[in-house]
Amino acid sequence: MRLFAIVRREYLERVRGRAFLIGTLLGPLLMAAFTIGPSALMAKQRGKPLRVAVLDASGTLRAGVEKALSERRIAGEPRFIVEPPGEGALEVVRASLTAAVLSGRIDGYLHLPPDALARGAAEYYGKNVSNVMDLGLLDKTVEDALTSFRLSGAGLPEARVQEVMRRLELKTIRISETGEREDEGGSFLLSMILLMTLYTTVAMWGGALMNSVIEEKTSRVVEVMLSSISASRLFAGKLLGVGAVGLTQLLVWAGFMAGLSLLGAQAAAVSGVKLPEIPLLVLVLFVVFFLLGYFLYGALYAAVGASVNSQQEAHSLAFPILMPLILAVMFFPMVLSSPDSKLSTVLSLVPFWTPLLMFLRVSALMPPAWQVGLSIALTLATTFALNWVAARIYRVGILMYGKRPTLREILKWIGKP
Amino acid sequence: MAPASVTRLLQAGEGCGPDRDIIIPAVSEAAIAITAVTKAYAGHLAVNNLSLAVPRGSIFGLLGPNGAGKTTTLRMLMNVLGPDSGTIEILGRPADDSARDRIGYMPEERGLYPRMLLEDQLVFFAEMKGTPRVDARRRIPAWLERLGIEDKWRRRRVNELSKGMQQKAQFIASVLHDPEILILDEPMSGLDPVAADVMRGALLALSRQGKTLLLSSHQMETVERLCDRVALLDRGEKLLDGTVGDVKRSHGPNTVALAYEGDGSFLEGLPGVSRLTDHGQFAELRLAAGADPQEILRAVASRLRVRRFEILEPSLHDIFIEQVTRHGRAAA
Repeated sequence: MRLFAIVRREYLERVRGRAFLIGTLLGPLLMAAFTIGPSALMAKQRGKPLRVAVLDASGTLRAGVEKALSERRIAGEPRFIVEPPGEGALEVVRASLTAAVLSGRIDGYLHLPPDALARGAAEYYGKNVSNVMDLGLLDKTVEDALTSFRLSGAGLPEARVQEVMRRLELKTIRISETGEREDEGGSFLLSMILLMTLYTTVAMWGGALMNSVIEEKTSRVVEVMLSSISASRLFAGKLLGVGAVGLTQLLVWAGFMAGLSLLGAQAAAVSGVKLPEIPLLVLVLFVVFFLLGYFLYGALYAAVGASVNSQQEAHSLAFPILMPLILAVMFFPMVLSSPDSKLSTVLSLVPFWTPLLMFLRVSALMPPAWQVGLSIALTLATTFALNWVAARIYRVGILMYGKRPTLREILKWIGKP
Repeated sequence: MAPASVTRLLQAGEGCGPDRDIIIPAVSEAAIAITAVTKAYAGHLAVNNLSLAVPRGSIFGLLGPNGAGKTTTLRMLMNVLGPDSGTIEILGRPADDSARDRIGYMPEERGLYPRMLLEDQLVFFAEMKGTPRVDARRRIPAWLERLGIEDKWRRRRVNELSKGMQQKAQFIASVLHDPEILILDEPMSGLDPVAADVMRGALLALSRQGKTLLLSSHQMETVERLCDRVALLDRGEKLLDGTVGDVKRSHGPNTVALAYEGDGSFLEGLPGVSRLTDHGQFAELRLAAGADPQEILRAVASRLRVRRFEILEPSLHDIFIEQVTRHGRAAA
């Protein structure tokens, strides 16, 4: 009854607040901007084509390589602009090309040694050699050109060479119980968006819980509250109340996404990315893992909130809580590229990482049910233990004013009768 | 109760505070009984072997300088803290969670949610004490009126209220669930004279309904006029305990209240005066043992224009200072 009153107050005061409204409306937009934005920018803003010259020491390859380079296109746009190397002795030309690179007239030059064809070796000289995408393309293009030369040298007619050298266009199709769908990177993107949403909401609502505890402590409301209700019930009420707000926000977003997939065609046209459908089970597990993450990390945030005297003091203590979450985000590419590897399995079974990494595996490639079940059980057990500890810290901390306690003192509070 | 009768009561109460215990019906059972309670924080004794009985229906003043252990004592009454040893009984039962629903508590550091609407906040605090929401909501307008808060503030955020109004709101929050015992830590601090009068009227009205009031305060004058019983704490120990009349009688009549015009600097060190509190136009002179008030009157009248010379019991303020100073010296 009173527990419910605390939950309701915590919930209503937040949901009615402007911050919740703005966060809930802008959240998806920001999330989209942060996740889709950079990759979209990278795709659209590939930069200007590379101006390159070919310095041919073999004397036979230049024309073919130059032709291949100037014909290479990405999304219909030429990727390389071939500049003439100039006339003269090899060393003279090389010196002038080096000068041209340094002055910025060209981006780089390709040196084909006399035995380029036999050894399959070449060198690229340029100011910027970290543009891996372009250099990879250059590598592939020159390799193709050299292969064509070898085929022609082996006596194959020109038309046959072109046939043999036809490039492959690989489409990826994801198979699921609901059928087959072509995937243009949407799965990767979706996993990333969901993971970042989990990370953000867990950290955000954990932080909100911490601030709520600090607010009650600094406004001294807590003393009035404790004259009516036990500290452990107050703690439980706050944890549940703030969690309910976070859940509401997720449900609003889920509704938003459901609406979006109904308007799938338009959405795809707007974003330029086809979002793959999300199975219901994944959505349900998304909510489950959010709740697990919130209650696990929320306990830590609440304990920090009870131990400090102000928001400022809280920052340095709250940062270590974020560390496991940040680590989980850093493991993300590794787990996503091999969701069923031994390492991914082990990492996703560690309770602090389960909410993010097990969910990531679920969204990429559904792991065996026992693994999901085990991870949930382990995280639940950890969550209960942490909340027990946090409630004991909270009980003592909320009545402590003055200097910030050391970690040692805080740990001592746990054992206090 | 209508405001008019509150005013009448206030006038009648003026000056007869010390004798009010006579009209309180004798009660066999204490509302609050503290027996041999000790509480220590990290090697520091906050409350040392304290025993205290607050009779039902009394207005009890808990006095003491900062760090005397008043707030710790009140927190133990509210079961916010547990005593290291000793027992606390509320209305004849152990001070557990169910006992505190029958207590209203206003802590010294006011605590209201700054961004919550006043009405929602009051309802919430009453709900925390087990009062149904509808009942709490129904009682609010009468309390606002009694404390002189206009109705328009009911739907305003607490941080828009003035400090005095917030304090009144805190008071309402502590009484809305109609408790039998009211514990108020510094109820008058920060109130202007008009608001303090309103608050005093509200406290008296509650007392006349038979509620037990326990106040902790530094404001001796408030306590002297309002309370029928007092206890004085210092460094966790009880120095005095009894009705205001008994406490004063046990210290007097050995005090001269002197109202004068002229330069009173010679009063300091006047023979026969052991303690002096000089306000410039008014002075309180504690007589040394065996001193003759008539000689002092002659000495004073020869140097000053005397407007009033009265032999009295000492004020609580003077007793407080004297006791605490003596206790401090003994401890050192």
